[in-house]
Amino acid sequence: MATKILMEALSPTMEEGRLVEWKKKEGDAVALGDVLAEVETDKAVMEIVARSAGTLLKQIAAAGATVPVSQLVGWIGQPGEALADGAPAPTAADASGPVVSAAPPPGTAASPKAAATPASDPGSSRVKASPLARKIAADQGLNLASVAGSGPEGRIIKRDLDAVNAARPASAPSRPSAGPSWSVSPAGPGLGYTDVPLTQIRKTIAKRLAQSIGPIPTFYLTTEVDMERMWEARASLNAAGEDQSKISFNDIIMKALATALIEHPACNAWWQDDHIRYWNDVHISMAVAIPDGLITPVIRHADRKSLRQIGAEAKELAGRARNRKLMPEEYTGGTFSISNLGMFDIDEFTAVINPPEAGILAVGRIAERPAVVDGAIAIRRRLRLTMSCDHRVIDGATGAAFLKTLKLFLENPLALVW
Amino acid sequence: MFPLGILDLGRQRYGETLDLQRSLAKQRVSGALDHDVLLLVEHPTVVTLGRGTKASSLPLSAAQLEARGMEVYEVERGGDATVHEPGQLVGYPILDLHRHRQDLHWYLRQLEAVLIEALTAFDIPAERNPGLTGVWTGGRKIASIGIHVKQWVTLHGFALNVINELKGFDWVVPCGISGVIMTSVAREAGRSTDQLQLWNETKDAVIGAMGRQFDLAPTRDPELWTTPPQNPPLRQ
Repeated sequence: MATKILMEALSPTMEEGRLVEWKKKEGDAVALGDVLAEVETDKAVMEIVARSAGTLLKQIAAAGATVPVSQLVGWIGQPGEALADGAPAPTAADASGPVVSAAPPPGTAASPKAAATPASDPGSSRVKASPLARKIAADQGLNLASVAGSGPEGRIIKRDLDAVNAARPASAPSRPSAGPSWSVSPAGPGLGYTDVPLTQIRKTIAKRLAQSIGPIPTFYLTTEVDMERMWEARASLNAAGEDQSKISFNDIIMKALATALIEHPACNAWWQDDHIRYWNDVHISMAVAIPDGLITPVIRHADRKSLRQIGAEAKELAGRARNRKLMPEEYTGGTFSISNLGMFDIDEFTAVINPPEAGILAVGRIAERPAVVDGAIAIRRRLRLTMSCDHRVIDGATGAAFLKTLKLFLENPLALVW
Repeated sequence: MFPLGILDLGRQRYGETLDLQRSLAKQRVSGALDHDVLLLVEHPTVVTLGRGTKASSLPLSAAQLEARGMEVYEVERGGDATVHEPGQLVGYPILDLHRHRQDLHWYLRQLEAVLIEALTAFDIPAERNPGLTGVWTGGRKIASIGIHVKQWVTLHGFALNVINELKGFDWVVPCGISGVIMTSVAREAGRSTDQLQLWNETKDAVIGAMGRQFDLAPTRDPELWTTPPQNPPLRQ
């Protein structure tokens, strides 16, 4: 005769427990003492252990369901044994009873049917996956049903998704070889970013600093970059590609900026009042002066584009910006801004943040200045960069670390080529 | 009084300690290990996801967390996502509750009592927060608790913030309770004591309180480990 599996009291005061997951499938052989399921109450998880041997005939409570203590959660018996004609019909409880199924997956019958035939039904088994795997799949838009699980009872775990990703062809968006056409859709929901709720400390920082200094509590970081090596690199690149358009320092700085942002995602973000949005991709807003003001066309995926692509695009966008021919999606959706006044012989300046972006880089001129090199004063080509940071998003050390990476890229052209 | 074997593992990666815990618990269930154990350890930064983890508790994907140098583990303990980082004292009691009381709520409340008692050594007034397992002081959370029980043998346990910078908590919603302010012994004690001294004092206080609350005699005596029929579990 079939044996009941009951929700166990993990404590005299426990009233109900959440069935976290089944460790045995319907139809699985069960030995005395085997772990059948895990139950959670409060912050404790306990295993329900088989009190008789046989076959797991029926799971009555679904994984995730909250079940009162001593309520039936399943049956153990002999294969083929009919449960309905036993003394207590096990189905009475689940049709109307308090067993709450947590989010029945599509494709499963909404309410468990009376188990006249307890043989397992492979067709209806829900996709078993760990919470982490579910999160990864949701993030990547993967259909779990198409993934083979290697965890216990075919459960899909992180490893399986890693394998799927590794097997996927180069269509994955990670640094593809630069092609001429980028089908980039405008920024919007569902695209590559992560929203992070504000922690208590971020809320406090935001409130206190904004009280002190206007709606965007801005601070500034300045660094001086030695451009000698980049000067040489640019000269030889331009000499090598005589027939092509010249690469400008602005193109180089934009590329270095985008690459540094990839390494410091904490600076590639939007302030969103009640959360911070960290973007996975880098879109550089480029301040362009126009007759009666300025506008910021966006170079999308600047980190993945070649210097010449960036240069051509910047020139083309700036040209249309001056002629007021930009479409709205061409000057919105940037994740970080750059403003360059070097051509006006400005040594350094502070730029105003372009909200909701959290930072902007102000680029001065490259000037020959005395600098100490290897203990001696030498005349070097130097560039001053000033970053304005929204303190609600970027803290001093965060911005400084980012600027240091940017400086490293500019002082070591090879670091950019990777 | 029964002994409580103290194993002070120093700094150890989460995965290694997890293997040790599981092995010890298995031996405790089988009887090969004849005494209760308290593992004390400090983990390099790691995010662990308990069985109660809600998707909203992990605002960053595992890949993004890993890009920030954090390992991510899904484990069998109760509770939501949490963070371990250097400077946090993590304790894993491997107790046979048959010898104590077969009551998981009692056990959770006992762990809270251990930490509350230990914190009195630093004049930190700590308390429970009904319905929210863990230890709190002045509305801030100082210790987290999440356990697993295998045939009434306990695994997992508590994490007490001692001298850690609490940075890792920016990347999860600790225990699924948004808006929680985390704190540490160093912050609450308000003393500019030597960090190492504070760390060692906290450890001693926790060991002492474990002994008193569970009526066990804590001992670091290696002789304890020669009595079980199996090899000492510390060999890696």
